[in-house]
Amino acid sequence: MFYISPRLLRRFERFRAIKRGYYSLWIILALIAVSFVAELWINNRALIVSYEGRLYFPTYTEMYPGNTFGLDYVHETDYLELQKNMRAKKEKGEKAGWVLMPLVPHGPLDTSSREEGYAPYPPSIKYQNYLGTDSTGRDVLARLIYGFRMAMVFSIVLMVFSYIIGIAVGCMMGFFGGWFDLVMQRVVEIWSNVPFLYVVMIVSSIIVPSFWMLLAIMVFFGWQGMTYYMRSQTYRERSRLYVLSAQSLGASPLRIILKHILPNSLSIIVTFIPFAIAGGISSLTALDYLGYGLPPPTPSWGELLDQGVENLDAWWVAGSVVVMLVLILTMVTFVGEAVREAFDPKKFTVYE
Amino acid sequence: MSAAYIIRRLLLMIPTFLGVTLMVFAITRFVPGGPVERALQEAQSMADGEGGEASSGGNELRAGALSKDQIQMLNEYYGFDKPVLVSYALWLKKLVVLDLGDSTRWYEPVWQTIARVLPVSTFYGLVSMLLAYLICIPLGIIKAIKHRTTLDSLSSILIFIGYAIPGFIVAVLLMSCFSFYLEWFPSGGFISDEFEDLGVFAKVIDLFYHATLPLIAYTIGSFAVMTMLMKNSLMDNLAADYVRTAMAKGFPFRTAVFRHALRNSLIPLATHFGSNISFFIGGSFLIEQIFDIDGFGLLGFESIVERDYPVVMGILAISCVLQLLGNLLSDICVASVDPRVQFE
Repeated sequence: MFYISPRLLRRFERFRAIKRGYYSLWIILALIAVSFVAELWINNRALIVSYEGRLYFPTYTEMYPGNTFGLDYVHETDYLELQKNMRAKKEKGEKAGWVLMPLVPHGPLDTSSREEGYAPYPPSIKYQNYLGTDSTGRDVLARLIYGFRMAMVFSIVLMVFSYIIGIAVGCMMGFFGGWFDLVMQRVVEIWSNVPFLYVVMIVSSIIVPSFWMLLAIMVFFGWQGMTYYMRSQTYRERSRLYVLSAQSLGASPLRIILKHILPNSLSIIVTFIPFAIAGGISSLTALDYLGYGLPPPTPSWGELLDQGVENLDAWWVAGSVVVMLVLILTMVTFVGEAVREAFDPKKFTVYE
Repeated sequence: MSAAYIIRRLLLMIPTFLGVTLMVFAITRFVPGGPVERALQEAQSMADGEGGEASSGGNELRAGALSKDQIQMLNEYYGFDKPVLVSYALWLKKLVVLDLGDSTRWYEPVWQTIARVLPVSTFYGLVSMLLAYLICIPLGIIKAIKHRTTLDSLSSILIFIGYAIPGFIVAVLLMSCFSFYLEWFPSGGFISDEFEDLGVFAKVIDLFYHATLPLIAYTIGSFAVMTMLMKNSLMDNLAADYVRTAMAKGFPFRTAVFRHALRNSLIPLATHFGSNISFFIGGSFLIEQIFDIDGFGLLGFESIVERDYPVVMGILAISCVLQLLGNLLSDICVASVDPRVQFE
């Protein structure tokens, strides 16, 4: 199925030639990669702690209670405080270990407080809240990056599941036709007339959804988008000679769909993927904004947006999330446009 | 496009409508925290003398404040004592005579609740629809003729942002920049408090003073899609043989565009034309929530929050009917402007 045809290669070359789409794709992939190791550079857990001659790497391990490092509590160690203590000891000339903190020593969930003023605190290099904090004192940059990871994972998984269902149903409708097609056409019509966000909100006002629950709800109400295209595509391909000959050789419908029709429909699927991801990010942000998305305190852009609108004085909250949203959505759309152009180039006549 | 076709399409709408409403009706039915629980909560907090901080899972409520009979009465009043399909049938029966029931939040007929928000929504719907057409068609034409010039590229940036960024994020951006920091525009609402005392001219000014930012947020989404549609279809037509023929015959470029190419390029716009039928309920609840506009969208949102299911169902029924009619209307439009299209 993943044989790379010359045609596909040509399309890829064409995609590469569309610079803004190509570079946007790389930037997005890089951001995703960076956000996946966010624990290493933007976290309230230390990277390395040297204490009494032993090295600790708390980033991905179980949490170390404070008494591991000679502090007088058993909840998770406050590494920033530990670092301060050790430095103070060193200055006094005593022997002490050291703590290597990540670049941004704040996690998406831990709250910090300052001596002066109230949260939301403005950006500050001294406290290493480079984009300030939100109204409960959580670091905006941390929540932005972890929220980006959440939004990306969510919309990619959402896209994969809705495409699997949509493509399967669409292919079956086009392939089998007859009463199955007729019945499913009604079903798809019903589904596409259900106001998506409205109904997802109704459902999540009932149950406070977890990540997977929200995903299931959104897939349930949003799978039908691809069926139209796949149905007509399968219908078209089905009457082609190569499908007929495969059929006369005794290939099963499943094999024909998977081996013959799907690879030929790949271009349709691929051109819709970036737009589906952009749509997923927007829907999740909208739901989170309204308070019907992922449960708090999950870091999410919608929740940040809500806080930003509530506290417009704290420009760094709304400002950073809006800038991020605009950048990411624009880049995803750039990719989408480039893919579309690469797969379906249009040449225009220009009158001089 | 025959009358029989239209009638068949109208008949096909019925199962779709039933499917959509039944699905949502069933969802609202399996929900804890419906109007009965809300009434219980109110009664209980009244009895306790303090705000009942009950969780959304209303099951945990002790029915202390109300007797069993009273709860039973409440259930009957809201129609929760019957199975889903029976109460759905009752809802439908009332709907046939255009009765949407009573709002459980405002204690008034749903129609009255909806009628209250209609003027605001109609204003926004109508103006943003007009704006969209008045801007998109000329802009699309200019962009097609001046393809790959500075003007085209510059407007493309704006269009692209409108295309990539959802309206509610644009709304947040506009509100924080222009109404909060620059204080050029009010931060929300439909009219000023002293609206009644203003003269006619001042009233109009006041209205649009409040409406500018929301209108931009509303229009920007459709603006991008429609302008590009107009541009692309005009460019397709400019490349077509019949325009080349017209040019070869000696028509000036202007005539070739406006007399020949433009008319055919408007056809794709007709495919969306039917959706304008729902202009007066088109308000997005996100934008209305941000600008605090008391319109149709915000009503829908608040009804979900307050679990006012008769209103939720009423809004759903109205928008569903309008959407289905809009689809049919679009098809009729396309068939009437493009004789090649035959719906049978």
